[in-house]
Amino acid sequence: MTAYIQGRNVNLTFRPPNRGPVRALSNFDIDVEEGEFLSIVGPSGCGKSTFLNILLGLIKPDSGELSLHGKKITGPGSDRAMVFQEFGLLPWRTVQNNIELGLELKKVPAAKRRAIAARLVELVGLGGFEAHYPHELSGGMKQRVGLARALAMDPDVLLMDEPFAALDAQTRDLMQVELLRIWREAKKTVLFVTHQIDEAIYLSDRVMVMSKRPGRAKKIFAIKLPRPREYEMRVMPEFNSLKLEIWNTLKDEIAI
Amino acid sequence: METSTVETSTLALSAVDASSRRSFAERYRGFLFGALAVVLFFAAWQAIFLIVPFNPLFMSKPSLIAAGFVDLIGSGDLVHDLAVSAVPFFLGLFAAAIVGVPLGIVMGWRVRVGYALDPLMTVFYASPLVALAPLFVIFFGVGVAGKAIIVFTLSVFPFIFNACAGVRAADHLLINVVRSLGGGERDLYVKVLFPSVLPYIVAGARIAVGRALIGVLVGEFFAASEGIGYAISRFGDLFAIDRMFGCILTVMAIAVILTEGIRWAERAAFPWRIGQ
Repeated sequence: MTAYIQGRNVNLTFRPPNRGPVRALSNFDIDVEEGEFLSIVGPSGCGKSTFLNILLGLIKPDSGELSLHGKKITGPGSDRAMVFQEFGLLPWRTVQNNIELGLELKKVPAAKRRAIAARLVELVGLGGFEAHYPHELSGGMKQRVGLARALAMDPDVLLMDEPFAALDAQTRDLMQVELLRIWREAKKTVLFVTHQIDEAIYLSDRVMVMSKRPGRAKKIFAIKLPRPREYEMRVMPEFNSLKLEIWNTLKDEIAI
Repeated sequence: METSTVETSTLALSAVDASSRRSFAERYRGFLFGALAVVLFFAAWQAIFLIVPFNPLFMSKPSLIAAGFVDLIGSGDLVHDLAVSAVPFFLGLFAAAIVGVPLGIVMGWRVRVGYALDPLMTVFYASPLVALAPLFVIFFGVGVAGKAIIVFTLSVFPFIFNACAGVRAADHLLINVVRSLGGGERDLYVKVLFPSVLPYIVAGARIAVGRALIGVLVGEFFAASEGIGYAISRFGDLFAIDRMFGCILTVMAIAVILTEGIRWAERAAFPWRIGQ
């Protein structure tokens, strides 16, 4: 029985031209269930973003097996979509046209594109901003566009690479609430990379802690907090004891 | 949806109006100071030759140039010469953009093409290609073709190098975005590289315009029977210094109008760059 997303012995070594090789991932294993919200936390440079890029199909691993729904991942596909930390919006496109980008690349007819984009603009709460350019938006709004663009592809799996790291603390809290609402409505499997333990616990069904480079799964925590998650849960004793437990697992991996 | 957007932008505009309700002098400060310097320059020129005696065979002053300029306009010669020169100027410049931009984009994107062509192109760009003008006149004659080819040769390199620099400065994240959404090589060119490069092309066009003007003038200095470059060199030969200056100042004015026009067009054409 293979898991929905299954990685076995994934290895990747970067070979930059002017420096020695860097082992990013070493025998990395992962199992993700369909519809699950899994967060990955780990020290900087542990290969967590690299893993998302491998899963996205932008980077090929040196060895190992990685499959989605039993199908080996060989390159980008419309069953996966990424939300990037730095948004990655095309500055010369309006909100509407940024959201339509992936559909355009998939050669979806214009009328259908517009209908899909219109629905997503409402879902992410950007109604009225369709004709705005990215530079006219706040960070939180930009990431809503990034999220809508990914959802427009109607992917099975949503990959989120520190999506809220570039936002201020309050915007980040609101975006987390929004993300849970959207996740409930869109029913996607989510892989969420973050540095923030709170964020990981609040959002996830499970939290994976990665070791320092070369990265592998050190420990996985099941988050048993009930859903829908309320903001108040963040101050509950269970939440805080989980936070401490995850921190104790993580701190040995962090080098300063 | 439409209406609400319009309303927001009108609100934003009126807010700008309120904050910019400053005096005329304050608002056009940059322009006024610049214009003042130009006026002072000509006034000083005029003033010096009110005191210092000069031989009109070798020098002139603004009042005489203005009179000569009126003559040139009245006879229709200036307009005719400008029209003649405009054809090879725009042909050469247009061809330079058509050839230079795609070549520069490919040089910037395909690493091996870049390695191969960079040194050669740098040699051409850095060297005074006007030296080749006599050769082009021998090859292609004194007509439009010869001049257009000189213009092309001089103005193609700013397009190539700026397009190339634009591609190399393109945000790699956007390339990953398009790739991850299933975009192929062609999509990268159309959706990311070309739009990234556009502002660089405009900057290149401003340099190219200056070089293209040099190309036209030099081409006409060497061999021509009409055109603004021919007019300048003929008035020089005839010691009609006032008219010569009239033509030169006209060319300078055209150069300023073209480069400033491009700058203005850039602002109008790329609204997304305002906030950057």
